[in-house]
Amino acid sequence: MSDIAVAAVLAATILIASTISVEIGLSVALIELLAGFVVGNAFHLDVPSWLTFLGSFAGMVLTFQAGAEVDVPQFKREWRASLAIGLASFFAPFAVVGLLAYYGLGWNLRQAEIGGLALSTTSLAVVYAVLVETGLIRELVGKRLMSATFVTDIATVAGLTVLFVKPTLWIVPFVIVSVALIVALPKAAPWFFGRYGNRVIEPEIKLVFATLFLLTWLGTRANSQAALPAFILGLVMSGHYVKHRQEQERMRVVAFAFLTPFFFLKGGMNVSAGALWANLGILGLLFAGKMIPKFAAIYPLARRYTAPHAAFTTLLMSTGLTFGTITSLYGLNAGIIDRTQFSLVIAVVVLSAVIPTAIAQRFFHPHREREPGAGRPVAAVPAPEGVTD
Amino acid sequence: MPFTRILVAIDGSECSDRAFAKAVELAVLAEAQLTALAVEGPLPAYAATIGEVDEVKREKDLYFNALASRAKQQAKEAGVEIDVDVRAGHAAELISQVASEGSYDLVVLGHRGHFLRDHLLGSTADRVAETAPCPVMIVR
Repeated sequence: MSDIAVAAVLAATILIASTISVEIGLSVALIELLAGFVVGNAFHLDVPSWLTFLGSFAGMVLTFQAGAEVDVPQFKREWRASLAIGLASFFAPFAVVGLLAYYGLGWNLRQAEIGGLALSTTSLAVVYAVLVETGLIRELVGKRLMSATFVTDIATVAGLTVLFVKPTLWIVPFVIVSVALIVALPKAAPWFFGRYGNRVIEPEIKLVFATLFLLTWLGTRANSQAALPAFILGLVMSGHYVKHRQEQERMRVVAFAFLTPFFFLKGGMNVSAGALWANLGILGLLFAGKMIPKFAAIYPLARRYTAPHAAFTTLLMSTGLTFGTITSLYGLNAGIIDRTQFSLVIAVVVLSAVIPTAIAQRFFHPHREREPGAGRPVAAVPAPEGVTD
Repeated sequence: MPFTRILVAIDGSECSDRAFAKAVELAVLAEAQLTALAVEGPLPAYAATIGEVDEVKREKDLYFNALASRAKQQAKEAGVEIDVDVRAGHAAELISQVASEGSYDLVVLGHRGHFLRDHLLGSTADRVAETAPCPVMIVR
């Protein structure tokens, strides 16, 4: 199939995934992953190089956005209480999955590290959606959970950047440019965005994309990965985006419309149905390798810091999606893991997004124990002209 | 006419618009108190980015606020006083719950909502008819 034919098939798939997402109320990312899985296996499509390129860049944009979406002032207030949960949430499954993969499944060290990293994540977005839905985002337990999730995520991106580095001389410019951008961009942004922003040609988005491409290029030359600087860059820009929501929304529009669909589709297309079917036992082992250590490590801490919602907290901290996908795709693109290993890891990532969330909402939903209407607030209804309440 | 407190569920679909018009007619005839309830459905499950959640929530807030304003305007034009309540949650559960808490003696709603999930999971109207504490009028 020619490149343009593949592009047409994928564009149609992305469109259908969007409409299904609206109709059934599931995240578009999850549908895109599943759609990629179906299209990839049904039509036996190979992933073209342009899709690999777009998907990799979309992963960087997602990482930047994840950093930009962190509520830094809240994190500064809650980091002490959240640090223990966040670090336990990262290290326990990382160690257990890594050891399981290395000694139990015969993966090599780098493959085991990718497996451990991908399955140590906690999904900031899944946790956030549940907290908003339950109204807990306004309470201490919700704030601590978000901060703990952030700690886990930053540990994951740090691991991704540090563990796989085989430094060349390019590590020097990579580090210098990363630090320079992290220091300078938040300072330069108000002037640059003020002078060139709010235009249909979107210079502010181009500035962010240019910096991400630069970091990706330098990271590649340094035999490293630019996830950590991209995440921190997003983090230091979060204060600017809080004051300029429209800029962040426009960036999301570009990302959701064109970039992230290719990222998740590509993830799904690389999952082999045959490999999953032939390795269901390993799939179950890896799933248990993520869930059991998460529970064992987080639950005792959650009883101390987020009582009386310890089980709810533990389940939500066991979710994963975006960073798990980013890590697995990095491992696949870098040739560290093969397609079977990727299929297994990404399947566990998706299962970990769905199963703990569903159990938390069905059986440990704090809202069910509280008064009606205590959940997600709705913006006030304005009265039409001439009508008084 | 036995009805003194009428609750009408609105979601902006064609059926809901017809249900709202019927509820307004009934409220005029019975000189009943009318309340419109708009229920924002759940946020997307298993989202990949906070942005996706925020955007959907913002879109829902905007949509349902506009819907509530339109209901107030239409009620005003019909000469009926109306309370409009916008809440987030599970539609069927909330409608029955509000009907029970507010001691409403009639619930009016359309037989079909906006989304495919209504057809896949059974319509909100079916579930309200089963669980509401009072008579339910389902408008086609």
